[in-house]
Amino acid sequence: MSSLTRLARDFRWGHVPSVPATAPRREVAPVREVSTAWARTPLARGVRAVAQAGVLAPLVRAEVRLQVTGAARLTALGDEAAVLVLNHTSHLDTAALLTALPSPVRARTVVAAAADYFFTSWWKAAGTALVFGTVPIERRGGAPTDTPVRLLAQGWNVVVYPEGSRSHDGWSTRFRPGAAALALACGAPIVPVAVRGSYTAMPRGRSWPTPGRPRVSVVFGDPLRAAPGEDALSFTGRARAEVARLLDEDETDWWSSLRRSSGGQQPALQGPPAGSWRRTWASTRPVESPPGAGPQVWT
Amino acid sequence: MRPGFVLEVDERTPPLLVHRGDSFGLERFPLGSRVVYPPESLPGLPDVRSAIAQALEHPLDSEPLRVLLRAGMRLTIAFDDISLPLPPMRTPDIRQQVIEQVLELAAAADVDDVELVVANALHRRMTGPEIRRIVGDRVYRSFWPHALTNHDAEDRANLIHLGLTDEGEDVEINRRAGTSDLLVYVNVNLVSMDGGWKSTAIGLASYASLRHHHNTRTMRHSRSFMDHKASALHSSAWRMGRLLQEHVPVFQIETTLNNQAFPTSYAFLTKREWEWSPRDQAMFWAVKNGLDRAPGRLRRKALSDLVADYAVTSVQAGAVEPVHELTVANVHRQQLVEVSGQSDVLVFGLPYLCPYNVNSSVMNPVLAMCLGLGYFFNMYRGSPLVRKGGALILYHPVPNAFDQLHHPSYVDFFEEVLAESTDPAIIEERFEKQYATDPWYTHLYRTSHAYHGVHPFYMWYWGAHALEHLGDVVWVGGDRRAVKRMGFRSASTLADALSMVAGSVGSSPSITYQHNPPHSIADVR
Repeated sequence: MSSLTRLARDFRWGHVPSVPATAPRREVAPVREVSTAWARTPLARGVRAVAQAGVLAPLVRAEVRLQVTGAARLTALGDEAAVLVLNHTSHLDTAALLTALPSPVRARTVVAAAADYFFTSWWKAAGTALVFGTVPIERRGGAPTDTPVRLLAQGWNVVVYPEGSRSHDGWSTRFRPGAAALALACGAPIVPVAVRGSYTAMPRGRSWPTPGRPRVSVVFGDPLRAAPGEDALSFTGRARAEVARLLDEDETDWWSSLRRSSGGQQPALQGPPAGSWRRTWASTRPVESPPGAGPQVWT
Repeated sequence: MRPGFVLEVDERTPPLLVHRGDSFGLERFPLGSRVVYPPESLPGLPDVRSAIAQALEHPLDSEPLRVLLRAGMRLTIAFDDISLPLPPMRTPDIRQQVIEQVLELAAAADVDDVELVVANALHRRMTGPEIRRIVGDRVYRSFWPHALTNHDAEDRANLIHLGLTDEGEDVEINRRAGTSDLLVYVNVNLVSMDGGWKSTAIGLASYASLRHHHNTRTMRHSRSFMDHKASALHSSAWRMGRLLQEHVPVFQIETTLNNQAFPTSYAFLTKREWEWSPRDQAMFWAVKNGLDRAPGRLRRKALSDLVADYAVTSVQAGAVEPVHELTVANVHRQQLVEVSGQSDVLVFGLPYLCPYNVNSSVMNPVLAMCLGLGYFFNMYRGSPLVRKGGALILYHPVPNAFDQLHHPSYVDFFEEVLAESTDPAIIEERFEKQYATDPWYTHLYRTSHAYHGVHPFYMWYWGAHALEHLGDVVWVGGDRRAVKRMGFRSASTLADALSMVAGSVGSSPSITYQHNPPHSIADVR
């Protein structure tokens, strides 16, 4: 390998440079927000609808066995816009979620995406805004944007990953209160969503799902509304607990998850308190179908 | 300015820059390895000239320099030699800026009897152009060569024995300095080892004085010699300095620099690798390939022509000890990094330059040993970064070559002394006196530009603490014969080196790489 080729590989030419997890961040100078208004024009929405229904969804269904539960809970909202909050372990999450959404809901859904990752080059920004309907948000202390608030007020559903980044080991980290603050600011409900199996299918470092059509499930919960006087932290806590319950529901069943949740036996969203390899081992276990799901075999 | 920190190598960590003598490379460290990064460069003083004037006018525990100067007095100004800073700083050197202001005050006070002395101790004599670069044209033209001289530690007529310390240590220093009405010392405190009484009591001393602290016992009890309060070397220098002060008033001017150890165009040498811009990557690639393909002499020339973009971060003047306390605090502000606990293996990449090969043709094996096991190993406060019995892995080619002009006694030390023993205590007992008093080495030291005959012994003693502490030392990329002569082992790669030390630290040791230079001092808790 030539020294230039090695340098290109080592420094990930053509990609955003990766930063070690323990490295302190550079102070980010305030930057002008990249405009994505063009991606919500009728023409762009038409292109996106075709791309999502004609390319993205078939591709996702071809590569993974997508199991969707509770999508009807969304349609029950009618035209009311909501903040969709979900756990984040893989780039596959967005594709799986958009595929799982009923098409009328999908047509008016945008995805809040990290400005420092998806909006660092024009081609990446344009590509993701067109296909996924992304809008930039600052996650590293830069100037906060009001775009999600405006869009929510205009009737767009906004997908937010409250963890801020993909999990390193398949388990969730803390939920930041930004999504709840957004919902509170607009009086919108939060729809908790659990995605299970995407870490096994396509963890960090992979750009395509693993072979063998691993199972990925998307479970929608009932919309949560803020209680009178409830603050963002408390609202975030409720959303997080519901995401944890939905993951448990996917693993067991609705009734069992409710019982375990009320009995304090629900598996922790942040995973077991074990060594790193055991955590990764547990989170990469292939996802089995819940009891009663799938084809019945009579014996 | 971001503080220093300890990185834990993970999957997202790019390969890290490692100095390898006259070149450098990128190395992938095992996952979980710790990397100690120095703080980013502090901003320089906005107006150095005013800061110097302020320090001279409002000194610590002393009258203003203006008041101490008077007509008819004997004034001696001593200053650090070419071993500081490394690499040499862009002109005007901070010593020039300070000395010019001192001389302005002396001229205003009608002081006629002024001499300047390079405090080179047993280091080689500096050449005229080298001195001119440090003090500037004005000073050079006014004083060279009669009143601007190198200290000659073998000129008996120009040495004075001031007495013995409480512990029986001889204090013998430059006669001009020791008999002045005022001795002004101008220093550059690159690392916390420099400065304080070490400047005068060591820089202006003779072998009779230096042998009391430059020995195996003292070095083994200097833990580390980057921490003057825990260093037997510094304790001895402090005792000598206090005796010196009874004979001559000393006005100390100390300065500190930031971490901008390389020119701006070589920014990749001071930046964190994951923050390298495309320009930094291109520069790295071009410089590395250029150096690797260039003939040795050209490569050496290209590197020795580098001048650092150091900026001055503080100037303090007055009584030696309070001044030095403030200086050390300023050095720590730039270099101290808190590190939690020791590791099994410590890794250093040794650069092309150490204090004793500035403008030399090569860094010889003894100097490489001194740089790695002496200076770099001691860049800690508290306890060493590596546990007792742990392993040290050093990157350097350790060329089996010597500069005949600067290091003649090193050749014999390497071939004759190290062939007999590599134990510093045995070497000291059996060979030191012979080399220290050898008339040919003395002649070369006094008339040529050679380091003193005893100097290679001192280099070896600098590593005595590390030699006693470590269980294993392996040189990655080192010349096998040269490394073996010094009692160490050589490996081709880091993986090989780790296999070789597995016997003493196990097959999955904890590893710490101290990313140096720019310098950091590990504050090991």
